[in-house]
Amino acid sequence: MTNQTKSQFVAVASITSELSAVMVVAKEISLAAANAKAIAFRAGDKAKGFQPITDFINELAKETIELVTDINIHALVLYRLTVNEFQKTTAYNKLELAAKMAGDAVYANTMQEPLDNARLSMQDCQRQFKRDVSQLLGQLEAVMHHARAARVIAANSRIEASQAGEYLQSLQAVAESVDKAAHTIHDNVQRCRIALSIYRNN
Amino acid sequence: MKMTKIYEGSHQWIMFGRDEGKPANIIDTNQYVVRTANRCLLLDPGGAELFAPMMAAVLHHAPVDQITDLFASHQDPDVISSLGLWDQALTNAKLHAPAIWEGFLRHYSCESIEYVPIPDNGGTIKLDSVELQIIPAHYLHSPGNFHVYDPQAKILMTGDIGAAFEAPDAPVFVDNFSAHVEKMRHWHQRMMPSNQAKRVWIERVRNLDIDILAPQHGRMFKGDDVKRFLDWFDALQVGIAV
Repeated sequence: MTNQTKSQFVAVASITSELSAVMVVAKEISLAAANAKAIAFRAGDKAKGFQPITDFINELAKETIELVTDINIHALVLYRLTVNEFQKTTAYNKLELAAKMAGDAVYANTMQEPLDNARLSMQDCQRQFKRDVSQLLGQLEAVMHHARAARVIAANSRIEASQAGEYLQSLQAVAESVDKAAHTIHDNVQRCRIALSIYRNN
Repeated sequence: MKMTKIYEGSHQWIMFGRDEGKPANIIDTNQYVVRTANRCLLLDPGGAELFAPMMAAVLHHAPVDQITDLFASHQDPDVISSLGLWDQALTNAKLHAPAIWEGFLRHYSCESIEYVPIPDNGGTIKLDSVELQIIPAHYLHSPGNFHVYDPQAKILMTGDIGAAFEAPDAPVFVDNFSAHVEKMRHWHQRMMPSNQAKRVWIERVRNLDIDILAPQHGRMFKGDDVKRFLDWFDALQVGIAV
């Protein structure tokens, strides 16, 4: 196995690991939203501006969870494709070696067809891998977009929280936790994108 | 890869082995090919490392599209870990292998090759007008294990039974049975787990008319050495590691 193949296996496998952390954080945001909603309800008019924000936060968390679930399915497909590509490449290399070793064997020329088929099959796999990587990068970009939106919401939450009187601290804590979660999601997804992007154009 | 024709009649048997290019740390194996008019059967085609030299060697005897059958005596990697590679090369082939190993052997990838499961009581493989018998050899050493007997050529391919480990330039036939025994003893005592299975197999095999006994490792036995081997194996206590 070449170093590039090893890195490819690691990159694809690491997506699932990074995304499971994203999933945990997205669930935390969802909880934070529920908590914020309860506080905002208790605060009544003092947190009027905060109430619609909690709905946004909740929706954002739900969408992130759905996206990550979908990405995980694609990541699994990509992992299988990586295995398949590795097998096809190995087979092609071995067939090529066999054709060379056959040299002047009576039936050496009959290797040409399986060799051509193996090459086409390997190239198909490589193309499909690149296509799937591009698709996955697009999905990861969508999660990044959600993370950026969450940070904007967190900033708005802080402003609204400052007008909530005795509820200021509780609502600020919610804003902080949303901001922190958005950071974590951003960083984890960014790592996935960096790991994968080198395979998009290889 | 050394090629030795061991039978020439209405069909051929060719033994392949003593591969000089083989990595030193993997076990040396014998592969056998049965070539009929339009078909070619590979018996225990070998490990993945051996695929390229084996394929290249077979091309001296048959075109790729006439490699129609593979046989795996059992599930060991030195027997059949090349399966995934044959699977990429052959578009019209069958793998005859023990039924109990199907789910295991498919780990090597077997998509275009058709898996023909051999039931515990054995069966036959028909190649053009040649009919080969699949002889049960369970627990020798694998729980699902078969040998192939050709009544026309009088050859019995015996997988790991009769195996010995030799220098790369060793002759392909045993020429001094007494000297050869020590090369086989520990292997058989350690790898064969059951005296009962051994007795049943010997009883079954003594009823066959055998000119050549062809193991997957080491030298083949011919003529009187076949009987010598069966007598020696009969008297040997196996399963010594417990």
